[in-house]
Amino acid sequence: MALTRDALIQYLEEKARVDLSQAEDDTELFSTGLVDSFAMVDLLVFLEKHTGTKMGPEDITLDNLDSVSRILAFAREQTA
Amino acid sequence: MSERPGIVILGTPRSGTTLLRRLLDAHPNIACPPETYVLSGAARFLHEESFAQGLKIGALFGLGYAGFEDTEVLARLRRFAFGFFEEHAAKAGKARWAEKTAFDAFHVPAIRRLCAGHVKFICLHRHGLDVAASLGELTDKTGGYVEELHRYVTRHPQPLEAFAHAWVDTASAIEDLAEQDDDALSIRYERLTEDPEAVLAEVLAFVDEPYDDGIVERALGSSEHVGFGDWKTYARAKVDTRSVARWKSLPAASQTMLAGVCNPTLERLGYDAVSTEEENDEDARRRYELGLLLGRLKKED
Repeated sequence: MALTRDALIQYLEEKARVDLSQAEDDTELFSTGLVDSFAMVDLLVFLEKHTGTKMGPEDITLDNLDSVSRILAFAREQTA
Repeated sequence: MSERPGIVILGTPRSGTTLLRRLLDAHPNIACPPETYVLSGAARFLHEESFAQGLKIGALFGLGYAGFEDTEVLARLRRFAFGFFEEHAAKAGKARWAEKTAFDAFHVPAIRRLCAGHVKFICLHRHGLDVAASLGELTDKTGGYVEELHRYVTRHPQPLEAFAHAWVDTASAIEDLAEQDDDALSIRYERLTEDPEAVLAEVLAFVDEPYDDGIVERALGSSEHVGFGDWKTYARAKVDTRSVARWKSLPAASQTMLAGVCNPTLERLGYDAVSTEEENDEDARRRYELGLLLGRLKKED
């Protein structure tokens, strides 16, 4: 199942309680503390469900997960 | 009741009672000190229990055998307890006292017995899952459980579940009082943080005090003497809603477990029941694996 931007934003706002009102798609989420590390496991579970893949250590990087645009690009790669 | 009765704030610990205390203390007519534990101490004086064959033991029964009527003992205890609040208010140059100690919530029946008819009660509620999560944070920070919470922790192996049960019991006792006593007002933390001026105006009207312009800014801007109470509110210069609905970031399994405990009471208090997503065994195992993986990666950083 492809991950849409709307679904990701809704997840981050409702489940991870991220205030994205001032954020752009390339705003850093984890490295700035906008999303705390406790939310990371839930985000990984969320991504696995939406991509239908299992993530390994090589996938869990800020390059893949630190912004809305990076997460969407990563999810697209996983489902391609 | 006298013309200007005392004000007693009741709310489960981590429900915003310190915020409300600071707001009331900023009123020119009201003095509300940091937590005194006087009323929960008085409640302990009134503790009673059934002994052999239903015989009750406790101070009221013991003194009853010595010839003291319950009403006399209660009046003396009330004078003793209220005397501290009255003296504190007089020292602050204010006409009226208020009292708030969060753990009073575990002693509501006895405090009600002592105070009903002599005070105005302000009953403050907060969403139960937020209270449970915040109590978890508090105990992590302090490294232990106060006696009132320890009773729950010994019965429930998961601390969050224990805190949820503590919230159900205390919030229910407080709401019982709010529903049955004309001198009680029930308010919610979420509304207080969303519109503090409006809720404070409602509270002040209930206790027959005029609204005082600028009271919210004055309350949070004051560098009053510190005491027992919530550490977070002292670090904030304005009221905000950052602490509302934090429970939504709890893992789904925790939300499901807490919802099972809290939903009936949430609905009674006017909150929406928490909808739950059942997590199957495979999902729970995968969540665990990812948590371990993430922990390992953090160590390698």
